[in-house]
Amino acid sequence: MIRLLGLHKGYLPRESLGFHYSISGIETTSIIAIEASVVWFTEGKGSEDIGVHCFQRLTGDSITQHDWMQPMEIQTELPDAPLSYEGRLLKIRWCVRVRVYVTDGSELVAQEPFYLGSITKEI
Amino acid sequence: MPRIVRLFGKKRGQRMSGWWLVGRVGEAFWFAAICVVSVLSLSTIVAWQVFSPETHPYPIGYGFWLLVLVSCIFAFIGAIGFIIRVLRVAYSDEHRSVLADRAISNTQTLGGLRGRSMPSIPHLSGFTDSPGVRLAYRLPTDRPELRELVLGSVFVLAWDAMVAVLVAVTISKARYGIFDWFSLLVILPGFGYIGFRVTAWFFRKFRLATGIGGTTVEVSELPMVAGGSYQLHLVQYGRLSVKKLLIVLVCEEVATYHFGTDTRTERQEVYRQQVLDQGRCRIDWGKPFETVCDLHVPEDAMHSFQSPHNSVAWKILVEGEVNRWPSFYRSFPVVVYPRAASPQKSVPS
Repeated sequence: MIRLLGLHKGYLPRESLGFHYSISGIETTSIIAIEASVVWFTEGKGSEDIGVHCFQRLTGDSITQHDWMQPMEIQTELPDAPLSYEGRLLKIRWCVRVRVYVTDGSELVAQEPFYLGSITKEI
Repeated sequence: MPRIVRLFGKKRGQRMSGWWLVGRVGEAFWFAAICVVSVLSLSTIVAWQVFSPETHPYPIGYGFWLLVLVSCIFAFIGAIGFIIRVLRVAYSDEHRSVLADRAISNTQTLGGLRGRSMPSIPHLSGFTDSPGVRLAYRLPTDRPELRELVLGSVFVLAWDAMVAVLVAVTISKARYGIFDWFSLLVILPGFGYIGFRVTAWFFRKFRLATGIGGTTVEVSELPMVAGGSYQLHLVQYGRLSVKKLLIVLVCEEVATYHFGTDTRTERQEVYRQQVLDQGRCRIDWGKPFETVCDLHVPEDAMHSFQSPHNSVAWKILVEGEVNRWPSFYRSFPVVVYPRAASPQKSVPS
């Protein structure tokens, strides 16, 4: 589960973004790695592009030492660009994404979108 | 119920019906096979040449080196393809992106380059390296027709040279009483006609590209910032009787995508603001048309954006209609920063 700490889903550039994430329903011993990231990606007619603003990968002891029912907190300062954008051919989306790699080879993904900037709707 | 691994999948909108891992592992094996077979054939060819040169079907020469070259190319393609596929299976999109960014920043550090503060916005260095005469910066021009002209000139030269060689060969044969009728009646007239048409096309393009004089645009500040106002100085050279001259600020979305084996690019204009509408005027050699006007970037504008397959591009277009010439347009790309970025103003050198 991912929970943004802000009161709303709109953030301004250089504002601090905080989020909690916790994992339930999986035994800690069966987790190989956890990746938490703050990313932007494009949607629309063109092939998808992705940019990573903040990335944290946990493996081994750092996973087993934590009680994953308790939320893990990450704070980061958002960049100036690219701002969220709703265009005609292209959309730029921001989200917090958490991937959990499990020993049976499967991969669980959760993401929480948010909006960076406030003015870049289609002109 | 156990999951059944499907070898074949079908794309349903954004998702695949099959198991994506099978496809990626299959691709990795395919490239690994190409690499292994190429390396095996390369080593066989070389070892055979070294240990038993007298029985080698290709003694050292053109055929041998061609085989070595082809094997090396396939081995390289296979190795690179295999590495890329393994990276796709072993690392998530985000992890790969971080590794790529780190590699780029390491390369820039080694090369003595400064890291880019905003990698998704086009770098300013290509825009601010040319100071203006009246305002701070002279904008670089983007003229795709010049590329077409250069490539066209290469093709025209090559084609006409080929036709000239054919004519020379035919004449020299004719001097000895040998008449190649097929060449005389079919090849030479056909190739000559194509040569005539492409040469005419080239000179028409050349006249269009050079007949209308140059255009320079200078701006008071770079980068532009959403919500900002700027001065713009236009100079149009040449000897023209202008019917209409427009300056427009345009924002365009550009998306590149794969369609089967093709790569296509689509453009969509999302914003157009008329900066100047100049009516009839006369331009002469030594008396260019000059004007200064104000330009305002809207506050709610999207900033310039550049990623491998998508971009938001801002540009100043100069569009003209002149007597006895086809309409022309000149494009001058600019960079627009988001308002919050509060960029450090560049000082012209």
